[in-house]
Amino acid sequence: MKLAFLLNGEAFETEAPGGALLLDLIRGQGLCGTREGCGVGVCGACTVLVDRDPVSSCIFLAGCAQGRQVWTVEGIARREPDLVEAFIEHEGLQCGACTSGQLVMAAALRAKGKDPGEAGTRDFLAGNLCRCTGYQSIVDSVRAALGS
Amino acid sequence: MHHVAVVRSQVPRGRIVAVDCRQALETAGVTGVFTGADVGLRLYGRRVRDVPVLAVDEVRFVGERVAAVVAESRSVAEKAAATVIVEVEELPSTLDLEKALTPGSPRVHDTPWAYPGAVVSEADPHNLQSRVRHGRPDEVERRLAASRHVVDSVYTFASGHQGYLEPQTCVASVDSDGTVHVWMANKSPYRLRAQLAACLEMPPERIEIHPVAIGGDFGGKGSPMDAPLCIELARRTGRPVKLVQRYDEDLTSANPRHSGRIRVRVGCDGGGRLTAFAADALFDGGAYGGFKPIATVSLHGLADIGSSYRVPAAAVEARIAYTNTVPRGHMRAPGAPEAVFAFESALDELASKAGLNPAEIRRRNLLRTGEANPWGETWVESRGLETLEAALAAYRPLDVDRGLRHGRGIAVYDRPTTTGKTSLRLLPGDEGVVVEVPMPETGTGVHTVVREGLARALGIEPHLVEVRQVSTAALPHDDGVGGSRVTAALSQAVAEAAAAFSRGGSDQPVTVLVEPSDTPHVTAFCVQIAQVAVDPDSGQVRVLEILSAVDVAEVVNPSAHRLQIEGGAAMGYGLACLEDLVMREGRVWAANLGEFRIPSTVDVPVWRTVLVEGARGVGALGVKSVGELGNVPTAAAIAGAVADATGVRARDLPITAEKVYDLLHSEVVA
Repeated sequence: MKLAFLLNGEAFETEAPGGALLLDLIRGQGLCGTREGCGVGVCGACTVLVDRDPVSSCIFLAGCAQGRQVWTVEGIARREPDLVEAFIEHEGLQCGACTSGQLVMAAALRAKGKDPGEAGTRDFLAGNLCRCTGYQSIVDSVRAALGS
Repeated sequence: MHHVAVVRSQVPRGRIVAVDCRQALETAGVTGVFTGADVGLRLYGRRVRDVPVLAVDEVRFVGERVAAVVAESRSVAEKAAATVIVEVEELPSTLDLEKALTPGSPRVHDTPWAYPGAVVSEADPHNLQSRVRHGRPDEVERRLAASRHVVDSVYTFASGHQGYLEPQTCVASVDSDGTVHVWMANKSPYRLRAQLAACLEMPPERIEIHPVAIGGDFGGKGSPMDAPLCIELARRTGRPVKLVQRYDEDLTSANPRHSGRIRVRVGCDGGGRLTAFAADALFDGGAYGGFKPIATVSLHGLADIGSSYRVPAAAVEARIAYTNTVPRGHMRAPGAPEAVFAFESALDELASKAGLNPAEIRRRNLLRTGEANPWGETWVESRGLETLEAALAAYRPLDVDRGLRHGRGIAVYDRPTTTGKTSLRLLPGDEGVVVEVPMPETGTGVHTVVREGLARALGIEPHLVEVRQVSTAALPHDDGVGGSRVTAALSQAVAEAAAAFSRGGSDQPVTVLVEPSDTPHVTAFCVQIAQVAVDPDSGQVRVLEILSAVDVAEVVNPSAHRLQIEGGAAMGYGLACLEDLVMREGRVWAANLGEFRIPSTVDVPVWRTVLVEGARGVGALGVKSVGELGNVPTAAAIAGAVADATGVRARDLPITAEKVYDLLHSEVVA
């Protein structure tokens, strides 16, 4: 299968088998910021943006990205470096395994253009598990990135 | 680099009759398929060496490694592994913990006492993995018989998983001269090297463990796990190999937390003063004991039960049994959350009999400075009472919605601050200094602590200190990350290195090796108060807040310190309310992170933390350990809050809505 989409803002073309997962395709390009955690689409570690929607790349068929825009944490960190700064400033990470997914979610929430409040922020992040922090510092980081 | 997929046992116990690898071997892209017959019987373990690299002749749990496929990609390896046909003659298995130690139970191992490092003998029950007994049982019986009030309750715990988001991972390669290289998510590289040397019967100097960052540990990443297999495969194929467990493999076949039960009998006099207690713990160790590192092959938290109180007589017996289930390992403060849940719950029940509230019975019995704890330990100071009072002073009751019942629960834990052997090397950098450290960063902030500690000792800015983890070839030794000891151990190493570096003119590299010496005898208390809202119609428990009062000395990095407490409490909350691997017929049923639920942003309560400052710490920085405080008393505090709200006592973790509902509808509500 021939695939063409925008990857982190740049034209990207490749050959991939029909059942290829977006996660494997991305990591195959050396973009290893996107990590596999649970492998079944519930932990959020592998989250990327397809157009403006966060998706679990571990269960997202690469073919479904055809003609769309895919943003991984590498592209988002380049596009929105202040998100990374907010996570550093508010200690929104410890081991880092979930951090890529949290950053992608922060970008997705900010792109919606309105502040859902603390409870709404927690709802939005409910699919991104973290075992280290207890979440308050992640929520604080995202809230800071929203300018709240 | 080639990739490994593992063929695992589908039965709890059986004799391997044949392994048919023909189709896998014919698959394009497959380099080789290997079984126990190829590798031979090689055993590994952190203490007792009873874990086979690949099963030989017999399988002992669902998930055990039977064969391994090496292929040029992970997907080819996995597809080929699915074609391997394992013919097994199923044998009677031991799945029930309560029956495991009875005479008629099927043997999990023929001769468990014969394994290197075994702590059992031929005279013991044949499925005994370990037994720890201490205290004065006769004196306890005498005093309990004379006590005004006695509680006798049994508390039970489901098995859980450490829940790190990065699964177990290993890369191995072997040089042409036989030197072994390993890159692995393992928190104790120097111990790993020794464990691999013992398993592979080769000198440790011929094994090099390379630095990696670790995506969460929580006790689960201290064993050799898949490293011996990867090394054997790299040797046989002549290529570096990589094995990354799928998360379902990690949940079902790595080294999750022990399930078990603890019976506590505790008495007091008419004034609520404790007279004696006995604890009888029985835990499920699964098919292998090799994932437990301490010399007793037990869980230290069990042996320390009741440590925060003044009790004239105490006795504990902790037995761990072999069963034909997934082998169990360490999880953050091993055995302590369970022991504290049991003891603190029993204390609440005793308070109720004695007509005292939960705060008052603790106030009357917490250790005072100078008093020995039930196991004969005395500390330079015992700050349990002031920590309790600080928690109570900070407590503010929260409103709950109409129809819900509010409850408050209190629990106490104390944990000694230990150090251990470690080393580091300090050398001049282009700008500032470089410090080479032996331990990986698991996410707890170890490298941050080194940087800040060294900056203080040298009187320079932290950004001028560059921290580098180096391989096991570069430094003398380290005991690894564990037991909340890293900050305390490093505190000493950092001070000695800074002094030696300055003496040498600050332009010569220095290496220091520190050993545990006359460290002051220090323990740290943590008192938590949980608030819950319980829906009496459904049994649903909503935890509103966990307030943690923590007994601290010097705090090196306030944010990292706070995250240890908050993240710990989140883990304690998961143990209390959510986490259960659901063992049925010897299998883990909650085999993915959707079924095995760990806390999310919307589950967790509000964290409040009060630091009770001014304690005496250890080492040059004067610190107390914190990593395994916040997760320990949480379940007990939540159970106490549920009892306060509803009048019924949940004695089985996790405390689900179904269990609370059943309790509310089967017991007379107080």
